[in-house]
Amino acid sequence: MEISLTELKAKIIESLKLQDITPDKIADDAPLFGEGLGLDSIDALELVVMLEKNYGIVIKDIEEGRPAFRSARALADFINARRPAA
Amino acid sequence: MASRFPVITGLGIVTAAGFGVDEVWRSITHGESGLKPLTLFESPRYGQILTGEIRRDLSELGAPLHGSRSDRLGWLAARDAIASSRIDLQNYGDRAGVLLGSSVGGSFDSERFLTALIKRGRMRARPTRFHECVSAVDWIADEFGLFGPSMAVATACSSGALAIATAAELIMSGEADLMLAGGADSLSRMTWGGFHSLLLVDTAGCRPFDAKRAGMSLGEGGAVLVLEAEETARQRNANILARLTGWGASCDAYHSTAPHPEGAGALTAMQSALRRAGLEPSAIDYINAHGTGTRDNDLAESKALRQLFGERIPPVSSTKRFFGHALAASGAIEAIVCIEALRRQEVPPNPGFTALDPAIGIEPVTSHRRAPLTHVMSNSFGFGGNNAVLIFSRADVTPLTRPVQLKPVAITGLGVIGPGTAAPCDIEPPLPAGKVLAHDCGTLDTTTLNPTQRRRTSRLIQMALIAARRSHHPVSPDRLSVAIGTGMGCLSSAAAFLENLVSKDEREPMPAQFPSSVHNAPAGQVAMDLGARAMNSAPTVGEISFECALWQSISQLSANEADKALAGSVDELNKYVLSIGQRWRMWTEQTRPGEGAVVAGLARPESATAPLARVTVVRLGRYRRPFDAEHETDWITDAVDLAKVDVLLSGAKGLPALEPLYASVAAALSKRAGREIEHQTYKQLCGEFHSASAFGFSVAVNLVRSQRRGVLLYTLALRGAKAVCFVQP
Repeated sequence: MEISLTELKAKIIESLKLQDITPDKIADDAPLFGEGLGLDSIDALELVVMLEKNYGIVIKDIEEGRPAFRSARALADFINARRPAA
Repeated sequence: MASRFPVITGLGIVTAAGFGVDEVWRSITHGESGLKPLTLFESPRYGQILTGEIRRDLSELGAPLHGSRSDRLGWLAARDAIASSRIDLQNYGDRAGVLLGSSVGGSFDSERFLTALIKRGRMRARPTRFHECVSAVDWIADEFGLFGPSMAVATACSSGALAIATAAELIMSGEADLMLAGGADSLSRMTWGGFHSLLLVDTAGCRPFDAKRAGMSLGEGGAVLVLEAEETARQRNANILARLTGWGASCDAYHSTAPHPEGAGALTAMQSALRRAGLEPSAIDYINAHGTGTRDNDLAESKALRQLFGERIPPVSSTKRFFGHALAASGAIEAIVCIEALRRQEVPPNPGFTALDPAIGIEPVTSHRRAPLTHVMSNSFGFGGNNAVLIFSRADVTPLTRPVQLKPVAITGLGVIGPGTAAPCDIEPPLPAGKVLAHDCGTLDTTTLNPTQRRRTSRLIQMALIAARRSHHPVSPDRLSVAIGTGMGCLSSAAAFLENLVSKDEREPMPAQFPSSVHNAPAGQVAMDLGARAMNSAPTVGEISFECALWQSISQLSANEADKALAGSVDELNKYVLSIGQRWRMWTEQTRPGEGAVVAGLARPESATAPLARVTVVRLGRYRRPFDAEHETDWITDAVDLAKVDVLLSGAKGLPALEPLYASVAAALSKRAGREIEHQTYKQLCGEFHSASAFGFSVAVNLVRSQRRGVLLYTLALRGAKAVCFVQP
């Protein structure tokens, strides 16, 4: 089953403890890092943990996850492609 | 003054690649790495990857059964350093001290306390006695009879190098004739899980500067140098192995874990060390790089090297694959590698390197070889962007090192969080306990902090951030140094990280908690917040942590390495401090736990327009047991003009064991002065905690301002360290 972008955004907000941000404030294609939400390399690591905990996707090299962290939509696509079959 | 040059007369080292200098050098010349699969503890997730674990039995090496694993590594190195320098420490009295770097202190052992608590609900308080970073220092000082300055610095991976640099300043300024200086750190689940959670560990073992490098290898060890003033070393006909001619420290003020991408802070620290040594870059014959093997460190370090040396980069090697990255010990281990390189005129290789990375463009030394060496440089960089660089020179060169003379400083601002008013404590300890009265500072007003600081930093760090902002009047942050001490550090972040690690068998780690758990997180975050790029330090010395931060700050200002300095200390009340104290029956009606942060802004008097007060003396040492009030009075009056002392402000009204000690010094000082010196206290206001003397300092400043009187701040630590600080109009 494909994951919903709203659900994923909620997971991002929860795992990064983002304050004063709701899923609807994160545009599907807006960059998560740098100028977008202002996230940094430690947030990327928190997202790695979030991916493993919620979707069973293990990332051992941060470079591997880098394209996925471009935007919420890119992350959803990454999860759908990599998610272990249930 | 020339005779105060620091020289090295003894070495002690214990690492995965050998015990003692000769064994270590044999491993280096044979290219034998000490990395082997981990056996010290079980790692359910990461397994037995290559690690610099010391597999020898520490008891067989002669370490008494005492303290934590870190303590024993430090003790072994100190014992061998003393033996090799053939000193008789009895002759030194208050003139010999000890200064070690530590990043996790007794964590390996206190983890067992936490594991038992989480998995079995049992509380074994004994290991927590050795949890603090200063534990090894106190033990070594007591065991070998060192009554001079004793201090631990916890600036993560640069600790060992910063400890050696600060020890050199203590010697050059005349505060000590001899210092045991270095670092000790054992492997621990904390750092193991931490670096894994940051995806910074190379499962194939570290490959510094290699094109395929994929991270670091953890290690452990102890390394201690005997650093002496040249004049006293010559008097006793000591064998001078080498000289420490330059040292420099800086802060990236960029990120809590990642280095500045252009290596800006690394460059500043190297330049500062060269300036101190009076040398040009071209004088350096070899560089022992920090070279951890992570993608980012090695790239940033190579950029800094290119900026400093241009096309003529001296031979470079990282020796991390021999030892693993022994964190706080690593700067001291590599200092010894540099000293031996000078003595033997041999360049150590960089194991793990096979292919040049075009982005780095530097090919390190690939095989051990002979070379004429006169001056060599050792780099150490750490979390929080903390950088420290040392320059060692052959024993027979004439040093050009700039002298260090401590000068009075002006207090230009004061930021205070606390004191909390005593109230029944609502923190629930892990074990049921009676009601405790505590000085809790309550909820912090974090509205001025930025969103990242609010969501990412712990309450302890936030206390330091707010106090620092209140103390600071921004002028050229490039030349601002920050030293924020802490006794217990970020215990709640460390415990949260470990609890999660233990209860989930290393699954779902908490990467954001790990960098917050290091003792220099408050100092590092303050530097990032203010853009402070000069020295950054986190002394962790029990009840005198603040005074040590003050000493380091004054030393930076006096040497013109900073134009402005922030000196402070922070400690937090949490369920661990509360329940460990309760287990040791510390908390009573009089001895109430407290917390708080105080940061003082300091400047040279000539550049301070309307100073609040001046600090004219800061002195560090250890008291005799049994306590000798007459000796204390001699020690104080040797540095302070008693005629100008109106008030003794002491750390009494806290721990009952120290009460008679303070009272006897108050009486002896009055007797010596021939008049009544008023004895005041502050712990009845703020409670008992390791940073309480920082609050005492704020009380002293207010007394000086309101009554124009000279205030002597006198602090004793339960484990033997002491400090005196004189605040005047």
